[in-house]
Amino acid sequence: MSIGITNIQYVLPEQAHTLEALEASGRLESPAGRLREFGFDRVHVSAEPAETLAIEAVGRLLRESAVDPESIDAIFYAGAIPASHCAGAAAENFLHGFNYPVSRVQFECGLVNAAAAGVSQLGCLGLMSAVRSAEGFLAASPAANRVICVSADVFPHAAPREVIYNAISDGAAALLIERGAARNRLLAYRQITKGYYWDCIARKNEIVAAYFPTAQHIVRETLTQAALTLEEIDWLLPHNVSRRSWEILLGLLGLPREKLFDRNIAAKGHVIAADNFINLADLTDLGLARPGQKLLMFNFGLGANWGCMILEH
Amino acid sequence: MNDVILITGATGSVGRELAGALACDPAVERIYAVSRGIGSTPELPKVAWIRGDVTLPLRLDVAREITVIVHAAADTRFSTSLSAARAVNVGGLEQVLALASRCPRLRRMAHLSTIYVAGRRCGRVLENELDHNAGFVNAYEQSKYESEQLVRTWANKVPIAVYRLSTIIGEEAGGDPGKLGAIHQAMGFMYHSLAPMIPGSPGNLIDLISLNYAVGSIAWLLRHRFEPGSTLHICGADESLTLDELLDLVIDCFHRFRPAWRKRAIAKPAVVPLETFELFVRSVEEIGEATLCRCVNAIKHFAPQMFYSKRFDDSQAQRALADSGIQRPRMRQLCSQVVRRLIETNWTAAGRELVTP
Repeated sequence: MSIGITNIQYVLPEQAHTLEALEASGRLESPAGRLREFGFDRVHVSAEPAETLAIEAVGRLLRESAVDPESIDAIFYAGAIPASHCAGAAAENFLHGFNYPVSRVQFECGLVNAAAAGVSQLGCLGLMSAVRSAEGFLAASPAANRVICVSADVFPHAAPREVIYNAISDGAAALLIERGAARNRLLAYRQITKGYYWDCIARKNEIVAAYFPTAQHIVRETLTQAALTLEEIDWLLPHNVSRRSWEILLGLLGLPREKLFDRNIAAKGHVIAADNFINLADLTDLGLARPGQKLLMFNFGLGANWGCMILEH
Repeated sequence: MNDVILITGATGSVGRELAGALACDPAVERIYAVSRGIGSTPELPKVAWIRGDVTLPLRLDVAREITVIVHAAADTRFSTSLSAARAVNVGGLEQVLALASRCPRLRRMAHLSTIYVAGRRCGRVLENELDHNAGFVNAYEQSKYESEQLVRTWANKVPIAVYRLSTIIGEEAGGDPGKLGAIHQAMGFMYHSLAPMIPGSPGNLIDLISLNYAVGSIAWLLRHRFEPGSTLHICGADESLTLDELLDLVIDCFHRFRPAWRKRAIAKPAVVPLETFELFVRSVEEIGEATLCRCVNAIKHFAPQMFYSKRFDDSQAQRALADSGIQRPRMRQLCSQVVRRLIETNWTAAGRELVTP
């Protein structure tokens, strides 16, 4: 049984702010120049709530895939920030907390046969973990064939746009996960959670330090799981954190720079949970990925969670 | 004829222990211990403390009595500037050599140096080798290298031997680390999840010794096997662990001696190419976050040495120590005891606490 990602659609808000504009409005902790040295250029900022971006991304996915919405068996909605799991404005009535965006997306997009669930508390690893959940769902449900995974996050209006030296964009990505997929077959996935770092403010320095050796460890483990060597990986699809951190991580991994698809770090910023899959979509659209190539994705989410996934294109 | 010994740097880790060890020797009549300040000097039998600064001309009334000089004074800070390191490690030696030339009864002089005069050399390092153009990891190494060059120019005027010490990690009995050094700090950073990477290769040897081995060897060699013009390595040599073995051992000690540490699931530092380590250090310094900066500053001046794979040969020292009963420490046992002590004392020594959050 091959399960894979057969289509990816994403939505980035048109409105983009340069680092200098963000600095001028007090929305960066670091100087704009330093973040520019780290590979960033601009971020995309949404005036719409997260679920609106999610609905748009899923709508595009259904149109581009030309699949019947009623043929979708499940939808997993991954949001990194807590507000992404509550549709509409925070309200005085606590029952508004039950206004789940996944239900709204299911309704708006006509996914009448889709079981819905949210994937949360994984930070930026949410969407990758949702894909793993979709694979597990399909493996456990012989009658099911299609799952949509969607992530959408929008930072609060006027909130800081820098998280641990990374410039953050709003955005959404929707993936179609299918049984019998001819491309982007899931070969291996590994997640490591280290609850010691649960307090991301108090343990910020320790997280920075733990990030690198744990990343090296999980990449090696995932390669072993896939029975592959690092040399057999054709592309490394990053999460769009600072290019500097990727240069360091490439040094740890022993992977050449040209295998890193890093052009989106400057152009799109760190689109929270969606980065890896936006990069896969762009890599494919640019014709850079060939059938049979092995693609390695690595991501990290506060919590702290490290994730690594290997696909065969 | 009993010996009258002058020790410089007698308040340092090695100098202090050496003074105590030599004082126990019946053949030693008196020890003059030179210290810049006499406020914190320990009371030891036969030891008289003299206030003095080795970077200034030493005019001692007792010069005519002295039969043995041990020059242990040094600026051992890895982060110090070359000019500051030279002032003490070369300039200081020059003053002591000048004093030695005015000691009519002088029979033996020992200059304590470091095996890391080898700097960035790689491969097997012999005791009789000094000259190289590989460069140095820090000013301490370079200044000690230059001090040995100075020793050579005085070799026909003063009966002097060079004892190159390895990194002293602590005492064998009880694992007291003594004054905390860079290696202890690095272990502390590992414990506190602040050590992401170390430059080197997993198979590179990390040469360490115990304070007992260093002091016992020097005392024995001075008394029984002194050979002017010789250079000996007081080091771990074949007993050394590889970098990977040492990291695993330290992690294992954290698990054994502080079982609750296990649930933190702190990763073993990655062993990385030097340029990757330097890029990380540069990034931390650019970010300017205070705690991370303190951590990288504490290790960046010595950690690159682990990248330059070398194996120190101590065969001449072993021959000289053959009848002494003194043996290189068993490294796993030594390191385990030191790590245990560090955990138990939370990286405090002599009232000084490690730089951690």
